[in-house]
Amino acid sequence: MNRRTFLMSAAGAAGCRRNEARLNVFNWSGYISPRVVPRFEEETGIQVRYAVYESNEEMLARVISGNSGWDIVFPSHYCLQPMLRQGLLAPLRHGWLPNLANLEREFQSPPWDQELRWTMPYLWGGTGILYNARLAPAPDFWASMWEARMERRITMLNDPAEVLGAALLKLGLSANSSDAGELRRAQKEALAQKRLLRGYLNAEVLDQVVAGDVQAAQAWSSSAQQAMDESGDLRFAYPREGFPLYADGAVVLRESRRAEAAHRFLDYLLRPEVAVLNHRTARSASCIRLPAELRANAVLYPPADVLARGEWWKTPPVSVQRLRDRLWTEILSG
Amino acid sequence: MNRLRAVFLLPSTLVLCVLVAAPLAIILSYSVLTRGAYGGVELPLSLESWLRLADPLYLGILARTVAMAAAVTALCLALGFPLALFLSRAGNRKNLYLHLVMLPFWTSFLVRTYAWMFLLRDTGLINTTLIWLGLIQEPLSLLYTPGAVLAGLVYGHLPFMVLPLYAALERMDRSLLEAAADLGAQPWESLARVVIPLASPGIRAGAVLVFIPCLGAYLTPDLLGGSKTVMAGNLIQNQFTHARDWPFGSAASLALMAVILVLLAVWVRREKEPLL
Amino acid sequence: MRRLLGLYAAGVYAFLHLPLAALILFSFNASRFTVWEGFSLRWYRAAFGDAQLAEAAANSLLIGLAATAVATAAGTLCGYALWKRRSGLVAAALHLSLVTPEIVTGVSLLAFYQWVFRFAGLRLGTHTVIGAHVTFCLVFVVIAVMARLRTLDPALEEAALDLGASEWRAFREVTLPLLWPAVAAGALLAFTISFDDYVVTSLVAGVDSETLPMVIYAMAKRGVSPAVNAVSAVIVTALGALILVSERLRRA
Repeated sequence: MNRRTFLMSAAGAAGCRRNEARLNVFNWSGYISPRVVPRFEEETGIQVRYAVYESNEEMLARVISGNSGWDIVFPSHYCLQPMLRQGLLAPLRHGWLPNLANLEREFQSPPWDQELRWTMPYLWGGTGILYNARLAPAPDFWASMWEARMERRITMLNDPAEVLGAALLKLGLSANSSDAGELRRAQKEALAQKRLLRGYLNAEVLDQVVAGDVQAAQAWSSSAQQAMDESGDLRFAYPREGFPLYADGAVVLRESRRAEAAHRFLDYLLRPEVAVLNHRTARSASCIRLPAELRANAVLYPPADVLARGEWWKTPPVSVQRLRDRLWTEILSG
Repeated sequence: MNRLRAVFLLPSTLVLCVLVAAPLAIILSYSVLTRGAYGGVELPLSLESWLRLADPLYLGILARTVAMAAAVTALCLALGFPLALFLSRAGNRKNLYLHLVMLPFWTSFLVRTYAWMFLLRDTGLINTTLIWLGLIQEPLSLLYTPGAVLAGLVYGHLPFMVLPLYAALERMDRSLLEAAADLGAQPWESLARVVIPLASPGIRAGAVLVFIPCLGAYLTPDLLGGSKTVMAGNLIQNQFTHARDWPFGSAASLALMAVILVLLAVWVRREKEPLL
Repeated sequence: MRRLLGLYAAGVYAFLHLPLAALILFSFNASRFTVWEGFSLRWYRAAFGDAQLAEAAANSLLIGLAATAVATAAGTLCGYALWKRRSGLVAAALHLSLVTPEIVTGVSLLAFYQWVFRFAGLRLGTHTVIGAHVTFCLVFVVIAVMARLRTLDPALEEAALDLGASEWRAFREVTLPLLWPAVAAGALLAFTISFDDYVVTSLVAGVDSETLPMVIYAMAKRGVSPAVNAVSAVIVTALGALILVSERLRRA
């Protein structure tokens, strides 16, 4: 076989795979039950390529070009405005989403997207401290993550907003602060904390927490619950100074040419039985109404007095976003 | 001849122009543009990215990168020289021993770096062995330290040092050593005053073959150093992905290239045999 | 001194081979922890049963073969042309591609592709990865071919030309057959480099072009399943075998 024939057949083989009905879904890791995608494929005949990411930044880096190839992604609610301003989103067609009524009442018109024009709320939670029960006293303040006794046994999230937010809350300020001076003070705190840290890790740290190598980790409530399912020695605390709340929702990207298939997938996720399945894997509070017994979990659905300490992330103005990114680069490089 | 030669050169020239030169030109232009609101590049032209590089924070990263590369080179030299000496005297088993040195290198670089994670983790082989032997109670935190990155880089680049050293030592004239011995030199003396100077072209070649790639290292510090050991490669990767600051990342990339090219220019001037 | 050197060499060989040997050994471990609990093939079964791994392996193979084919063809011709008469510019560009750190190659190609895609309605995918791989594989083929060419006697081609053959025919029927081992060696080297690449691929890959190193990297970072040990063992053995063959050909 000469080279030309070979090249032709290779190109042909590459092209063949693209002819199936396809949907490309990019989601947080551990956010879907392993049975959901095969069931959806069987029911609809639509082949789904499903890939995962660990942070909003990782997703945005791929998607911001406007021609990434993804159809559905799951940004956190505060990323919605920036994505909208960049022209990345396609409006949702409610006519194709009959199951939207299954959403919890407060997520039927959330403050960040009151008519649900752009996003379908999926899972929500708060950021707190996942820790080993052997730690005494228990770290239920953000300030506990700055104590010398924690050296090399703690991690923080690999997320600029979360790390700076925790530092701001420790200083008694709001995690949503837009003040440059306050942000720089928070950065100083974060730099002081850095030498105590094992690293900045998201879901990658769970294994080490379960194994006991990491004693305390800044974690999202869903990750925490997943870890607590694996090990009885773990606890989760919503810090007393306050904590941020987030809601991850699905959006259809404007570049997608498979709007109908995308909406069918979203409608599938909105089904009550599918939501329960996803809950068993993701272990997160769901924006879709779950049966009462699943909502009785105090870690995922904190009681009113705890919830009162939480504040939803707000989209920062562009200049603050730029400052945050720059401060984060400096924290990582320091 | 010229026409045939031009045709023969065409595919490679195309690849080099379109996929090597043009990309570098693009990032050169990006380095003087401004970052868009959430990423991307836009006008106006600005030298801000280059000026930002002069910040002690980033000069510190460059310094740390150079220091790490130098440490790796020195360790490779210290570890590799005796090995190269052994190889040059190995007699008829030379090829076998040489293959044994190169064999790990020929397999996957990613896998070899992961192998070090497997060894150094808290639940990794070294810790479980030490605990099993009763030498320690709590696992040592070996991973995510500069030491882990150093070990990983030395492991990955040792063959690059050993081969040129071996080549230089093999070519060495044995009669010179005999002459030194006849003149009453101790083995250590003849090593220091005869062997090492004669091997110096090999030492220089090996140093360059280790130092330059280490300057641009990304995967090893990423996997073995966590986010604590930031080298130039990590900074660049971060700016082009999570931080979405392409102008700054471009400036950092070109600065790194400049350092490498300057070092190479100094080396090429002293060497005679080109690679191509 | 001889014995000391021998002992020392043994130590260094241990250092060089132990990590990989340990990895391969524990890929057969029945337990998921680093405590030996008996021989088992479960991780191999898990790895071979994983659809994502299978697709990634297929992608890696496809990209590797395509990139190798292009790089070998272009590189052989280029090496021959440079041997006939040196071109400073091309040689300089090849040197540049050799010393550029992978991360810089990756980000510059990403920037370039995205810039081009603004005008053409394309996106990142398998074709962009293949292009990127050709870029960094080319120089290795050229080096392998030129190293061999330097050992050839130019008189052979001249004789063919004197006998009335065209330059193309002289190349094809005199030089190229003598060059085959080096070309094959260069091709195998290029394939190994392409198959193993993570840094450049991760930056320019698209939705449909996840490669095996990308999957391994994700698995290594999450630190979850020892199946990554099994996959690593297979890759290491396969690539090692390929390069041994390449070396044999090079010295042939």
